[in-house]
Amino acid sequence: MALVAGVNIPDNKRVEVSIQTVYGVGPSVAKRVVEEAALPGNPRVRELSEEELNRLRGALDRSGAIIEGDLRRDVQMNVRRLIDIGSYRGLRHRRGLPARGQRTKTNARTKRGRRRAIANKKKVGH
Amino acid sequence: MSRSIKKGPFVEEKLMIRVRRAQRASSRNVIRTWSRASMIMPEMVGLTIGVHDGRRHIPVLIGENMVGHRLGEFAPTRTFRGHVGRSDRTTSIR
Repeated sequence: MALVAGVNIPDNKRVEVSIQTVYGVGPSVAKRVVEEAALPGNPRVRELSEEELNRLRGALDRSGAIIEGDLRRDVQMNVRRLIDIGSYRGLRHRRGLPARGQRTKTNARTKRGRRRAIANKKKVGH
Repeated sequence: MSRSIKKGPFVEEKLMIRVRRAQRASSRNVIRTWSRASMIMPEMVGLTIGVHDGRRHIPVLIGENMVGHRLGEFAPTRTFRGHVGRSDRTTSIR
């Protein structure tokens, strides 16, 4: 386990995949960072030397990507702004419902969490 | 898809005229409008605009960070009073 970008610890996957466990690093940033770090032969993280790891960390720092705490704070602040100005989207965030006009009669489970049983809910008959 | 930059932001003409007049006179009267689709412009900051919700005009005090949003976003059109038989968190009007 190696430490990249503060607390994050990737494992024995290929570097490009492994660093995607960092919040804010997806396929695109990962690819750029790995190229910049110039690691020969698409290695797995456990095969990296300490010097190569440092090169990887440096490349990630220089990538200009907003990651981890900073990104979480940015997102949090965007949501808070919507709530503070009293907009419809802020309202939906406050309620924990989808904010972009999706249906909520069914689905929207990601945002609303697990199903809760409703007493006496009748089955829709045919 | 987002709106083409060529067209510029949409604001109802009449509303914009009234906004300019109000700013010049620095009047604090509520400007009532039905134009929920109009974009909030920097000129509107500090004014109170009555945005129609289908029934009444909801007074909305325009702040700086509202610029770029639509007027309708600040006047909800639905009042959800909870589902039948759900005692907790019913009658909580937004």
